[in-house]
Amino acid sequence: MNYVKKLVFVILCTLLLAACAEKDNSNASNTGEKSTTESGKVSSKNELVIAVNENFISMDPHNTGDTNSGSVQETMLEGLLGFDADGQIIKVLAEDYSISDNALEYTFKLQEGVTFHDGEQFNAEAVKANIERIMNDESLRLYSRGFSLISNVEILGDYDIKVTLKEPYGPMITRFGVAKMISPKMIKENLKDIPKQPVGTGPYKFVEWVQGDHLSIEKFDGYWGGGDRVSKITYKPVPENGSRVAMLKAGDAQVIYPVPAQNIDELSNNKDVEVNKVPSTIAHYVSLNTYKKPLDDIKVRQAFNYAVDKEAYIKVVNSGLGLPLDSIIPSKTVYYKQQKMYEHNIEKAKALLAEAGYPNGFDIEIWGNTNSDTMKGMQFIQQQLGQIGVKVEIKSMEEGTLSDEIYGAQTPDDAKLQMWYVSWSAYASDITNATKPLFHSVSFPPNGANTAYYHNTEADQLMDEANSISDVDRQAELYEKLQEIVYQDTPWIFLGVDEVVYGVRSNVSGVLVNPTGGLDVKNAKVE
Amino acid sequence: MTSPTTVQNSQVQKKQRKYSPLKEFWKSFKKQKAALLASIFIGLLIVVAIIGPYIAPYDPFEPDYDALLEGPSASHLAGTDEYGRDIFSRLIVGAKISLMVSFSAVFLGLILGTILGLISGYFGGWIDKVIMRSCDVLFSFPDLLLAIAIVALLGPGINNVIIAVMIFSVPSFARLVRGATLNAKENVYVEAAQSMGASHVRVLWKHIFPETISELIIFVTMRIGTAILAASGLSFLGLGASPEMPEWGVMLSSGRDYLGTSSHVVIMPGIAIFLTVLAFNLIGDGLRDVLDPKIKNN
Repeated sequence: MNYVKKLVFVILCTLLLAACAEKDNSNASNTGEKSTTESGKVSSKNELVIAVNENFISMDPHNTGDTNSGSVQETMLEGLLGFDADGQIIKVLAEDYSISDNALEYTFKLQEGVTFHDGEQFNAEAVKANIERIMNDESLRLYSRGFSLISNVEILGDYDIKVTLKEPYGPMITRFGVAKMISPKMIKENLKDIPKQPVGTGPYKFVEWVQGDHLSIEKFDGYWGGGDRVSKITYKPVPENGSRVAMLKAGDAQVIYPVPAQNIDELSNNKDVEVNKVPSTIAHYVSLNTYKKPLDDIKVRQAFNYAVDKEAYIKVVNSGLGLPLDSIIPSKTVYYKQQKMYEHNIEKAKALLAEAGYPNGFDIEIWGNTNSDTMKGMQFIQQQLGQIGVKVEIKSMEEGTLSDEIYGAQTPDDAKLQMWYVSWSAYASDITNATKPLFHSVSFPPNGANTAYYHNTEADQLMDEANSISDVDRQAELYEKLQEIVYQDTPWIFLGVDEVVYGVRSNVSGVLVNPTGGLDVKNAKVE
Repeated sequence: MTSPTTVQNSQVQKKQRKYSPLKEFWKSFKKQKAALLASIFIGLLIVVAIIGPYIAPYDPFEPDYDALLEGPSASHLAGTDEYGRDIFSRLIVGAKISLMVSFSAVFLGLILGTILGLISGYFGGWIDKVIMRSCDVLFSFPDLLLAIAIVALLGPGINNVIIAVMIFSVPSFARLVRGATLNAKENVYVEAAQSMGASHVRVLWKHIFPETISELIIFVTMRIGTAILAASGLSFLGLGASPEMPEWGVMLSSGRDYLGTSSHVVIMPGIAIFLTVLAFNLIGDGLRDVLDPKIKNN
């Protein structure tokens, strides 16, 4: 009898707790909305608080791998070139530039009248100091690829400079956009402070960085580009999804990035808040080992593509955030050309499979990491291929093991990989990195990420030629052809492209997120 | 003079014929209302586990992308999960996996542990020392940690989970049986059997083992609860059943991303695990009250 009482008591308690939780939630959102309107009025026109999901790692622009650090640097530092909202190359500190036909010489004409935050002049000397720092400091190699290929930096005049490469390197132009300029005085005298408080030429200058709490910057009055902007910006790392959303609703933050998928609907219905989605350059796909049976047969690979419903993929796995991958590169990548998608057609898929000699399907393994999104994606593929009789076994491995298993194979014959659920991201302006490591035969593991062991001589030639010239029109032609060929050959199951989501208070304008996920608030305004 | 005694004798015989340990057991077990209720629940669960696939309202593997994460309703009693699969059907079919894993792991552990315990307690000496020290080594690891280590060695998969749970059950059984054996060994009838030249196996099996049964029954029921928890835990960590299986721990694991938005995805398998483990523990408690001689004496 005692037990029955206890049992009833426990169940009642659980129900009570559950009820409380529900109530608490609704309370929280109510009060949240109330205080939004109140503090929304209070918030100053001259200040912006931005809540992001991760801590900042380094402010050294020549040694940065994480997107959030890059976003902050973007406000304080500028490169010779930069990226627009679509991720395409624009001129920043370079007034003009040209690339020689053999893609070896890059000549820049620099902006005049630009000063660093510490009063130093920006000129050819300053550019040389920066480039040489990246070239010579071995510890920066990881994030400053490409600069090791520079053979010579030549000052042609006070505001003219020429950089010569040892060999053509397609992504170099993107590298000039990524490498931001630091005051030459700082490079000479105070190298160790660059990761903590960098001095650049941007519209904002560094104020303070309290680790784990906030990083603040203020308007630089001597900015060469002029313009009217917010006088102070504070970045706060808020890893907890719920807190970040609450801050936006309450007006404690004017911008949050990213918005958690589950809160999008809720925030979209809030009139004080705006939610924006931007297509990214993060492509999801399943690479199919084209070297070994049964995936060596193009009909099987095409059948797989017809069997997978891409719209459902985005809905189920990506919480509806994303677009189908309708080429071998995301739509934001330069030279992208839309291909005719493999529509969802089970009958066609079954027919192709039967033609290939597998009318009853077969067993196959899919590999992926242990991340919960990957697990979800792999299960989705399992369900979809199950419809055409292909029995998929899911093998999820810890990232290190997975990488050893895949890149440990020295030759295609050694490879045990059949299917890999994975994603790839390259700068929107960097088509070389979006194609060569994935589809060129020199990039078979362990040398590159061509885990499909895709080998097409024509495709190889197209990539080689495009990489060795600077003629933009010819490059476009070559890459369009490449997309056609590779998409037809289906070394992947083409799935989707992520969308990144950020939220702003409705009185804030001018906030952008570029396709690589970098937040750009240089031109943000508060009304 | 003789007739009254014969009457008395026949009465006694009648009484004795009426006496059956099972009946006696049932008489006292009936009084344990919680345990009784729990037994009914487990009984139903076992029936469900057997006929599950035939009574499940939906195919537990069939996704419905137009009905993602729907809350409980008349058409989906426990709602749908992140692929639109019916959670109620998955729970029903999953009952079989959970019960199968826990029963087989515990019974394998029981067999191995009992044999080791009998040998250890009966023969004593260095055999006893080797077996008991090995058990001590296994005891020094926390249960789940030991299971994780074993699965990590063997690789993930439901069969390896059974082996892992079995291995961490063995020392508990061995220790329990050894204790009971040491007690039983002192009985006069054991000595009598030995002196009459009965073989070791006969003495162990016929005279000592029956003495350990009541304690074993209690312990097995308790252990099944633990085994279900451990198996679900391992599956939750991705070491057990493969992710598409309707195993309760797997369902809990894949649903945890939706805890904030569609909590039923987690709550439903959570309740299933909770009730099942609770039921086994209640039965164990009830059995102890009935069977344990120490408690009876009090």
